[in-house]
Amino acid sequence: MSTLDDDESGTGTATERRRGPGLTRRLSYPVRRSVLRLGTVGSALLLGFLMAFPLYWMAQNAFKTRLAINAGVSWLPTGDAFTLERFGIVNNGAVLTYITNSIIVTIGTVLLVVAVSLVAGYGLARYDFRGKVAFARFLLLGYLFSPIVLALPLYLIWDWTGLLNTHIGLILALSAVSMPFAVWLMWKYIQTIPQAMEESAWIAGAPRWRGFVDVVLPQTTPAIIANALFAFGLAWNDFTFAQILLPSNDATTFPPGILRLVNASFETGYGDFMAVGLLMTIPPLLFAFFLQSYLLKGFEIRAL
Amino acid sequence: MLFLYTLIAILPVGFALWASLHRIPLTQPQWTFVGLENYAQVFELDRFWGSMWRGTLFMVGSTLVQLAVGLWMALVINRMERGQRLLSTLVFTSYLIPTIIVTLIALFMLDPFVGVLHQFGASLGLWEGYVLGAATWNLPGIGEVSLALPAVVLIGSWKFSVFITIFALAQLRSIPNRFYEAAKICGATSWEMFRDITLPRLKGAILVAVLLRSVFMFNKYDIIWQLTQGGPGYETTTMPILAYRETFEGSAYGLGNAIAVVMFCFLAVGAVAYFVAFNPSQEVDT
Repeated sequence: MSTLDDDESGTGTATERRRGPGLTRRLSYPVRRSVLRLGTVGSALLLGFLMAFPLYWMAQNAFKTRLAINAGVSWLPTGDAFTLERFGIVNNGAVLTYITNSIIVTIGTVLLVVAVSLVAGYGLARYDFRGKVAFARFLLLGYLFSPIVLALPLYLIWDWTGLLNTHIGLILALSAVSMPFAVWLMWKYIQTIPQAMEESAWIAGAPRWRGFVDVVLPQTTPAIIANALFAFGLAWNDFTFAQILLPSNDATTFPPGILRLVNASFETGYGDFMAVGLLMTIPPLLFAFFLQSYLLKGFEIRAL
Repeated sequence: MLFLYTLIAILPVGFALWASLHRIPLTQPQWTFVGLENYAQVFELDRFWGSMWRGTLFMVGSTLVQLAVGLWMALVINRMERGQRLLSTLVFTSYLIPTIIVTLIALFMLDPFVGVLHQFGASLGLWEGYVLGAATWNLPGIGEVSLALPAVVLIGSWKFSVFITIFALAQLRSIPNRFYEAAKICGATSWEMFRDITLPRLKGAILVAVLLRSVFMFNKYDIIWQLTQGGPGYETTTMPILAYRETFEGSAYGLGNAIAVVMFCFLAVGAVAYFVAFNPSQEVDT
């Protein structure tokens, strides 16, 4: 409601401005309206173009022969230039390994994050223990840990414990990074579920975990999806941890692996990279189209 | 549960503190206790102060660009009547798309031989050499300026502006429509509605987003490394890149950890100062 107060205190200056030669006041309503409309549509077109052009460029070049790419800039793969050969890069043993590793790590991270955030969020929301609020604040401190600050020490620790170059090692590290926000979101979300619902289950003789599984769990679906999406974004995207914690070529995930190819090989050209990039973009694109409301919801809670 | 988090998040930091007090050659880990020598060495390094400066430039530049573009985009998407879903899908895609793919596309588009963006800029006379390499601008008063850092800032902003967009969009959606209706009846112009209703409501979210973005950008390692590996020379070496280079290229594990610790302290002080100055968490509780 603070806005209304602001409005009131601001009236003095606002009326003064109205009496003065304010630019907006001189224009008639239809003019202002159409200017605004034009601005919106124009901005939308410009921003849409800026956002879409790189994606379009990747997609169209994924279907071009190497010769056509080397011939210079062209707008569509037509005639001789068109080929599906570029997608053959996936059969290249190394690339296939990278993608498989990425998929394993991503699935592992998503599962772990969702499971831990559910349990921790439930614990925070339903049990009282000392230092709860302090702990929650402390969670947010996790934002300050840069991946590199965590990854450098982890490199030696993982080396000693034998987790270096294993999927588990990377999954643990990535989960730790996405945990603060995931727990926070789940905690806030479970707080919105009335405890009375659980209590009625307890009265009917359900043990605590039964109440959790049957009453709370089904209602947290939106938060689970949001958490899974954020964890997916993090794991699918991660470069820093994978680069440092998975130095071996067989164990590494897609981002560092493909970068090695870019910097090292002359056999694979831009067309190949665009093709494999297109493949790796499809899952995020689908998620973005169908699940965007959950992401938005997550951000809404994040802003709390 | 608290255990697990403490284990994974706190242990490394403590370990980093401990390691930063030792001299540790990476190839044959033999710890020699040297006390604060690593820190003394860090502050004496020319590269350190240069990286600090570039890191700050990178952080401030990226945050400003992202704030401007991100807010603009959020307002536009919120106002659009048609095609809203299309544009917001693009926005969410670039949030979820792996950074490495953005890098691949950028490298391709800026390639000096076949890159579309490179040729476009070259035909306008903006640059001649490779933008992420040798290209420079001769600015009056400052002299030769490498284009690499601004290019990295802009490429990073393509990916990360949408963070602010989504953040602001979530907040915009929560403003009840009746506020605007009331304002319209009172004869407010769109600008006045924006200034008196939208902006105060957005302020809290913006403050939080700016804090998060600054922290993330200061810690940003992946996109810079992928695009330039900190080069040409040290032109795009920010703090995280320096820590990595000292550790793995200079094979000085203790020194790398010392840099990481300094970074963390710098951020912690900055974040606390920001909280004291603006108190963003209070702002959101409207």
